[in-house]
Amino acid sequence: MAKAILNDTTKCIGCRACQVACKSWNDLPGEKTSFSETWSNPKYLDADNFNRLIFREIVSPEGKVTWHFVSRRCMHCLTPACVSACPVGALKKMPDGPVAYNDDICIGCRYCMMACPFQIPKFEWSKAVPYIRKCTFCADRQKNGEEPACTVTCPTGALLFGERDDLIREARQRIAQSNGRYHPEVYGEKTGGGTSTLYLTALSFDQLGLNHEGFRTDLGVYPQGLYGREWMSKVPWVALTVGGLSVGLYYINKRRAEVAAREKKED
Amino acid sequence: MSTEYRFTPGRVILLIIMGVGILAGIYRLFMGLGATTNLSDAYPWGLWISFDVLTGVALAGGGFTISAAIYVFNIKKWEPLLRPAKLSAFVGYLIFVVGLFFDLGQPWRIWHPLVMWNPGSVLFEVSWCVMLYTTVLAIDIFIMALERWRAEFWVNFFRNIYVFLIVAGIILSTLHQSSLGALYLLMPEKMSDLWASGAIGPLFFVSAIIGGMSMVALESILSSKAYGKEPRTEALKSLGKGLGVTLLVYFAMKVTDLYARGATVWSLDWAHILFYIEIFGTVALPALLLFFPEVRNSKTGLLWCAGLSAFGVLLNRFNVSLTSYGGYRDFWYFPSAIEIIVTIGLVAMAILIFDFGMNYLPMHPEKEATATVR
Repeated sequence: MAKAILNDTTKCIGCRACQVACKSWNDLPGEKTSFSETWSNPKYLDADNFNRLIFREIVSPEGKVTWHFVSRRCMHCLTPACVSACPVGALKKMPDGPVAYNDDICIGCRYCMMACPFQIPKFEWSKAVPYIRKCTFCADRQKNGEEPACTVTCPTGALLFGERDDLIREARQRIAQSNGRYHPEVYGEKTGGGTSTLYLTALSFDQLGLNHEGFRTDLGVYPQGLYGREWMSKVPWVALTVGGLSVGLYYINKRRAEVAAREKKED
Repeated sequence: MSTEYRFTPGRVILLIIMGVGILAGIYRLFMGLGATTNLSDAYPWGLWISFDVLTGVALAGGGFTISAAIYVFNIKKWEPLLRPAKLSAFVGYLIFVVGLFFDLGQPWRIWHPLVMWNPGSVLFEVSWCVMLYTTVLAIDIFIMALERWRAEFWVNFFRNIYVFLIVAGIILSTLHQSSLGALYLLMPEKMSDLWASGAIGPLFFVSAIIGGMSMVALESILSSKAYGKEPRTEALKSLGKGLGVTLLVYFAMKVTDLYARGATVWSLDWAHILFYIEIFGTVALPALLLFFPEVRNSKTGLLWCAGLSAFGVLLNRFNVSLTSYGGYRDFWYFPSAIEIIVTIGLVAMAILIFDFGMNYLPMHPEKEATATVR
């Protein structure tokens, strides 16, 4: 029922067709890019770029150079921090996978951007009426029974679209049969309580140097989206306790003052 | 009652600063956040959240602190401080609301949390509590105005629901003062270990009490100077004691929390230097100073201690919301001119309204023979 995308980064050739497909399906403007120390372009995900291919050149201790290409986009968490953060419910986790955003509700507080452990929601800073923008999991295409634009475009099968359970099974199988070609963990299977975007990599994201570039390896398996809810579940009890104590003590104090006043009079 | 309200040079200067701030705010509304602020995808929250929202609300904690002390903990000595405390709390929340208005991407939707609910969201709870508490404070101020207008019937009407206002104020403040800290429960991975704590809610709550007490002390001493009146010496002495005790409690909480989490306390990077200033300079130092009766019973001594503690609350809010990000991303944030001008304008507005209220509203009902308080 719940869909997911598996990114087998060992199969990626770095063609960036997914980036282009994403731009054109979402009708996002092109922009002038420039050379940088890496081949990745544009430099960051932003309100006009929902998908970005990260290029990593890794030199092993023996001096062997390997290339790694990772497509970064919304992880579509199973228990998303952004959804639990949004005060008005503009972000929703759909049962079939996408974390969807509703323009008509958002107030622009940007708490989702603060909360997201993968730093995915981006803001339309240049506009006077700004919205949050991020990968939509092509929810509109999925509704019509189509695959997301990026997965359907990928020429090498590095991006696979399907049932989350099936994809995890497939990923595990690839790890088992690969003779150590893969890092033995499916990133997103359990990370942050599990996500709908899954990654198979040759090296861990730590080794790839991406743990501080949106692929944190220190998140653990506890869903970040539950921290806020745990707090909220205590709130009614705090309110009742504080309220009860305040009312009680208020009347005790009042009564004491009255008694004291009467005793004074009687003296 | 008080003297006539006149436009002294000081007030005119404040009005001009406020006017410039309003113009800068309007400019921001038309040009958008990207063009007028230095906020970015790496720093979605900046000066306006750290100062107007977090610091403003914490320093406005005096309203509920003083009223809880008087009505719940029976510290009747503090009664002369209650009305100025409520006025300053109201002013603090005004800074919050107006500041947030400029900060929101879509300020005209500021009412959305009223009808569009996400009860699992901490920010949803904060927005409700702040809206309700600002209303409670507004009613409190309105009652004072009714007294001034001698509308006996309405004053009595509100006196009858006064318990309700007191208790509602205490509950709402407890909830949102701590929940403002709980906002940061969601992002421990992005913060320095020194502040990313599961206990950040209770820590925010206690430091809001410190912020409230120290602001009440500051305002009381400074306004007695400004208006050439005798300060409320007895109440202030007792308040100084209370502040010292609360600082001690807070210090103990901080130490316990850091110890329990096993955070690296001794180091010499920027985060740690700021942390040392915060915990030793603005919590331990004033607590220690207030221990001496010579200090807390002298106007200057209390003024300095309260100033230090209030600054400490401000520093804590900035550390939690801004500087503890420092080492994490390869981006740098410093507020833009517009952000700073709007914030200074808001402070000017706050001082003007506080000053007007102190002059216009009956601040010391026990002295004046108006409709007496209960």
